[in-house]
Amino acid sequence: MDFYLALLQVIGIHALIGLSAYVVILTGQVSLAQAGFFAIGAYVAGMLTVLAGWHLIPALLAAGLVAGAVAFLVGFPALRVKGLMLVVATTAFGEAVRLFFFNFDYQVAKGGVRVGPLGGEGFKQIRFFPENGYTTLDVLVFIWVVVGVVMALLWWMDRSRAGAVLRAVGEDELAAQAMGIDLTAVKVAAMTAGGVIAGFGGAIYAHYTTHIEHFNFGIVLATFAIAYPILGGLSTAFGTVVAVLFIQGLLIEGLRFLGDWRNLLFGALIVLAMNLRPHGLLDAATTLRLRRLFGRGGAGRDA
Amino acid sequence: MLRVGDVVTAYGQLEALKGVSVAAESGKITCLLGPNGAGKTTLMMTVTGLLKPKRGSIAFEGQELVGLSPSEIVARGVALVPENRLVFPDMSVRENLEAGAYLRRKPAEIAADLDRMFERFPRLKERAGQSAGTLSGGEQQMLAVARALMSRPRLLLMDEPSLGLAPLIVEEIFRIVAELNRDGTSIFLVEQNAHMALKVAHHFYLIEQGRVTFSGSPGQLAEDEVIQRAYLGSKRG
Amino acid sequence: MLDLIQNTIDGVMIGGAYALLALGFTLTFGVMRRLNLAFGAIVLCGLYAGAAAHQALGWGLLGSIAATLAVAVAAGLYVERLCFRALAESASIAAMVSSFAIWMQLEEIAALLMPRRTYAYPALSEARPWEWAGLSLRPDQLAMAAVALGAMAALGWTLRRTRFGLAARAVATAPLAARLAGIEPARIGSAMFLLACGLGGLAGALIAAVDSQVTIKFGMWAMLKGLVAMTLGGIGSIPGAVIGGLALGVIESNAQWYLGAEWRDIVAYGLLFAVLYWRRGRERPWTNS
Repeated sequence: MDFYLALLQVIGIHALIGLSAYVVILTGQVSLAQAGFFAIGAYVAGMLTVLAGWHLIPALLAAGLVAGAVAFLVGFPALRVKGLMLVVATTAFGEAVRLFFFNFDYQVAKGGVRVGPLGGEGFKQIRFFPENGYTTLDVLVFIWVVVGVVMALLWWMDRSRAGAVLRAVGEDELAAQAMGIDLTAVKVAAMTAGGVIAGFGGAIYAHYTTHIEHFNFGIVLATFAIAYPILGGLSTAFGTVVAVLFIQGLLIEGLRFLGDWRNLLFGALIVLAMNLRPHGLLDAATTLRLRRLFGRGGAGRDA
Repeated sequence: MLRVGDVVTAYGQLEALKGVSVAAESGKITCLLGPNGAGKTTLMMTVTGLLKPKRGSIAFEGQELVGLSPSEIVARGVALVPENRLVFPDMSVRENLEAGAYLRRKPAEIAADLDRMFERFPRLKERAGQSAGTLSGGEQQMLAVARALMSRPRLLLMDEPSLGLAPLIVEEIFRIVAELNRDGTSIFLVEQNAHMALKVAHHFYLIEQGRVTFSGSPGQLAEDEVIQRAYLGSKRG
Repeated sequence: MLDLIQNTIDGVMIGGAYALLALGFTLTFGVMRRLNLAFGAIVLCGLYAGAAAHQALGWGLLGSIAATLAVAVAAGLYVERLCFRALAESASIAAMVSSFAIWMQLEEIAALLMPRRTYAYPALSEARPWEWAGLSLRPDQLAMAAVALGAMAALGWTLRRTRFGLAARAVATAPLAARLAGIEPARIGSAMFLLACGLGGLAGALIAAVDSQVTIKFGMWAMLKGLVAMTLGGIGSIPGAVIGGLALGVIESNAQWYLGAEWRDIVAYGLLFAVLYWRRGRERPWTNS
């Protein structure tokens, strides 16, 4: 049982980082900076609960705020470029953040023990959950409440004008500009929103593992982040969560019986999925069919 | 020489060619005139294998072209001078011509043809080492024609060679077209510039909204009417 | 001043290898407009094969380099078939995600077959450094730079003087016109992809031979260096990839000397941002080549 609870926790955390990339990809930008925002969220929230003694909820909000602010600042210069340039620029940003935490020491004595981030050693003892008596189930509920709130906000956004604007930019920048949409504002807004969501994810991650190190936040995580929405399809945020379930649940955990060799099949299955469904598992056509199935066809937006 | 029979080509659901049948005779200049969006470029791209028709046949010297790749079609002796010329801007004029001879394997023959092109187009010779992107529009058009000729086509297709060029240059291009034909190259060209095209054509077609609406020789239809229909399409919508 | 000269010399040496890694990306991007995230993992597989040949079969330097190149190209063939050939033209992001999955897969294979973190690679040269007027020059680094330079010259010659090079440049600058000339972009792309993997393998072999070792982290490292060097020089430009590689080498060695090792990469990334910001570069494959 605990195994499944732990798995659902991992899925929730990865859903957050996947959703953070989803918002950015909607505008047609492929960002590998999400792991960097995630790292910032993790360190900020960890420091606030451990060093400043905050409750997790304000710490989580602060982490989202800081990560969002950094994303906002990075968004301006980074979004001047696009395509491969943006991929490289955001990769470099993510690596710079990782290196920053690799060199970041800020320790204070607390009850005779020194706590706080210690460079390459990482940041240990982020023990808000155990200290406050949270059970595994409590933590799981906490994670999925945050995921639920983020999903609800994204769902609402997607149905509002904001979603249409993001998609318009993603589909055809020139046409969007001709419609009077300010491209920079939209892209920076999406980047900021992605930063906030990644910050939440990082904050939860830090408290879930209790011990974070710089190499948790490398390119691999950043690439996973964009793989989720792309594999899931960009028509709804649910696609991203489905892709996280598919990758983390089915491929990584489901194939664990294969032992060390599971990554081989993992790679092959993702390639297969991308070949069979280049527009994602839940592409626009499938979404529409599902909507019809649940008797809502034609009621909502088409496509 | 070229027989296009009842070809339908579609972009998704949208049929750009709705059953087009045209033919180009050996040794002649054939023109296809029509307004923007009538399907002229689509036809060129279908004949050269860049687009796959939904149905219909395209026979060149009795051999079916449908299903062949662009490379195989070039190898059979059909070359297209594309719309907007599409030279390789960062390669030199000489390299552009060499790329045109990509499928040929005999260096001595290629070198001889290169000399012949420079003889026919002295302006290109002057600029042989210059990158093609720095040429004027007319020079680029000549380069595109010469590049297509480097594959030694028996049928030369041309997609709107007059597009965006000054009247004097257009006249020069059509003079070259007539010259090439006199020297034995069969030509099939699509144009909007009916006035110039009718001067050189032996036979012409009108295409409107994906259908051929007229076939005959110049003089069979008043030039004013041809021009009208080539630019705007006929009134019946 | 002497330090600056020394750092710059060292930087140029390693920069030659960076340039080869950057060329690996540039060549693929030029003809395919795609990003191969498995590039570093491909190089890693080659290096592990070279190290295995050295350890198990007692092969020397040239044998190991040959094994590295062969396996890098073979791994490249695998990635190309799986991720880049089958996927339709429009799905460039899907190709990138697929290549990410294969990156994970290849790294896993390497780690399973050879589970130690570090393996010996035959040294390029064990001769002592030459000293002159307070400057020192390592013969192995010089050899690395010389081979890298030779490889770049050979690449330049191939692109400028051969039928394949002509076709590749045609595909990179005007793919539609290239098809009309009878050139098949898919074929040229595959060949260029394998050539890029070979160059990456060579760069990896040179660096591993200077270090006399290879670690499992090498793949990720090589990918980052290649991407950053390519971007510093302007994405898509072939001379830019060379200049970017050399610049990255020189910047890193000076930053390391003057600011300390922990700043080395941060300075490089900072500069990358600055370049992207000011040049606001567009992706114009292979222009000015």
